[in-house]
Amino acid sequence: MTTPMVDARGISKSFGSLHVLSGVDLTVERGQVACLIGPSGSGKSTFLRCINHLEKHDAGELRVDGALVGYRQSGNKLFELNDRQICAERSQIGMVFQRFNLFPHLTALENITIAPQRVLGKKGPETVRRAHELLERVGLSDKASSYPSQLSGGQQQRVAIARALAMDPKLMLFDEPTSALDPELVGEVLDVMRDLAESGMTMVVVTHEMGFAREVADVAYFLDEGVVQEWGNPREMLVSPRTQRLAGFLSKVL
Amino acid sequence: MALVAVAAAMLINTLLSKVPTGLEECHQAIVNGHAHQVCASTMRWRFFWDVVGNYIFDASLFRGLWLTLELTVCAMAIGITLGVITAVMRMSPNRIVSSSAWLFTWFFRGTPVYVQILFWFNIAFLYPTIQFGIPFGPHFFTVNVLTLFTGFVAALTALGLNEGAYMSEIVRAGFKAVDEGQIEAAQALGMTRLQTMWRITLPQAMRVIIPPTGNELISMLKTSSLASAIAVTELLKSTSNIASRTFQTMQLLIVASLWYLTVTTVLSIGQFYVERHFAKGSSRSTPPTPLQRIKQDLRRLGWGNREVRS
Repeated sequence: MTTPMVDARGISKSFGSLHVLSGVDLTVERGQVACLIGPSGSGKSTFLRCINHLEKHDAGELRVDGALVGYRQSGNKLFELNDRQICAERSQIGMVFQRFNLFPHLTALENITIAPQRVLGKKGPETVRRAHELLERVGLSDKASSYPSQLSGGQQQRVAIARALAMDPKLMLFDEPTSALDPELVGEVLDVMRDLAESGMTMVVVTHEMGFAREVADVAYFLDEGVVQEWGNPREMLVSPRTQRLAGFLSKVL
Repeated sequence: MALVAVAAAMLINTLLSKVPTGLEECHQAIVNGHAHQVCASTMRWRFFWDVVGNYIFDASLFRGLWLTLELTVCAMAIGITLGVITAVMRMSPNRIVSSSAWLFTWFFRGTPVYVQILFWFNIAFLYPTIQFGIPFGPHFFTVNVLTLFTGFVAALTALGLNEGAYMSEIVRAGFKAVDEGQIEAAQALGMTRLQTMWRITLPQAMRVIIPPTGNELISMLKTSSLASAIAVTELLKSTSNIASRTFQTMQLLIVASLWYLTVTTVLSIGQFYVERHFAKGSSRSTPPTPLQRIKQDLRRLGWGNREVRS
């Protein structure tokens, strides 16, 4: 059996006295799409941000592709990684944010090329060629020289996906990628994500789009109060929930 | 804008209307038979502006102007460098680093710059020499503080340090104005703290930093005149040197003011273009230059090609 892409055991995290995560167990195999669903404040986003160490988890063991996130094990002890090592780990994990977070002072093309150039040290022409490929893939080949402020929300999010893909990540994290979009723009972003899933990318998606979860996800996790309440095949789980909590949640969002 | 225009118009009116009324009065006075009084006032007025005209392009003034510009540019360079360094230090998670930056700002912003200028000029009383070497060991060379801290160096040190304290706050405000999500996005791509700061945060912070920095530069141009108090022959001192020879104090103050205004105007124009450069991406289109704006207005009034406007 191969090592799973994401393997979380008992992840806990609190902000002061507020326990956001209290022992989350979760496994995502290579090539799988996992959807995290749950009410707001359930800790889904926080958990996602732990995976690329934007948040530091307090307890538990989190591995991406077999390697501990943010720490290095020596004997029985854990040592925190230094800035450079954390950056190296992050550069292999793509992330897409709810509010896009494109760099407003750079064009769409520059947004995509900056990290491969500065982080991976790739040559300019090579990254530009790749950026054009990626823009075509997300259907924005004519927007290379536009600044983010000149793009619609849906277009910005698609550029953000291309920006993450330019790093050739082995794992993609999506933090409510369609929640900040006008309803008519949601479809174009989900289409790009669906294509990406079909191409075999491993994805962890925090979402409120139950349709997308049912259709695309291989596995769904329902989080509430910092704990995985229920998980399994989304096509069964979202239709006939086993727990009262999930049933209650689904009745509100569907 | 309108207020300034009105005030300027009033000023010009007062200055210029003096001459024709004077002539009329003069004529009237001759008729009335006490010409000497009013004619004298008119003549004095004309003589006043003639003096201004005589000295405005004086060679010694250009040397002073050059020194003022040198002082302004160098002090600002020191100030901006110190400001960026201390702003970055202030945001450091290390308490010792951040509080020493705070202390720097607190001290140099909390004392009058004039006092600081006098302090550095007189520093030789406190430390006549500075020795560079290993404590209790050999020393490599000694600096005579009296010769090191000439008027220019003292003024530069004081203005630079003082400016550093102000720039620190301006730069910090700029960094704070950048959305947290930008830093997260850069981190998620694997960029280091320094890369994030240099490539992502600073270019966006510039939009907030530039306008008050332009203000600081213009303010520095004028504050540098305090150096005249420690016998640095900058613009103000070079005019007052002439004035103390000729007793034409007012005229030479106006000469100095005209030069300060000229340089300020040039700096303001420069600021506009720098701001325009850093506005890139923040709005859908960059604001038009004054020239473009005039062309637009002309086009609207019917001159030139109408189709150009799309």
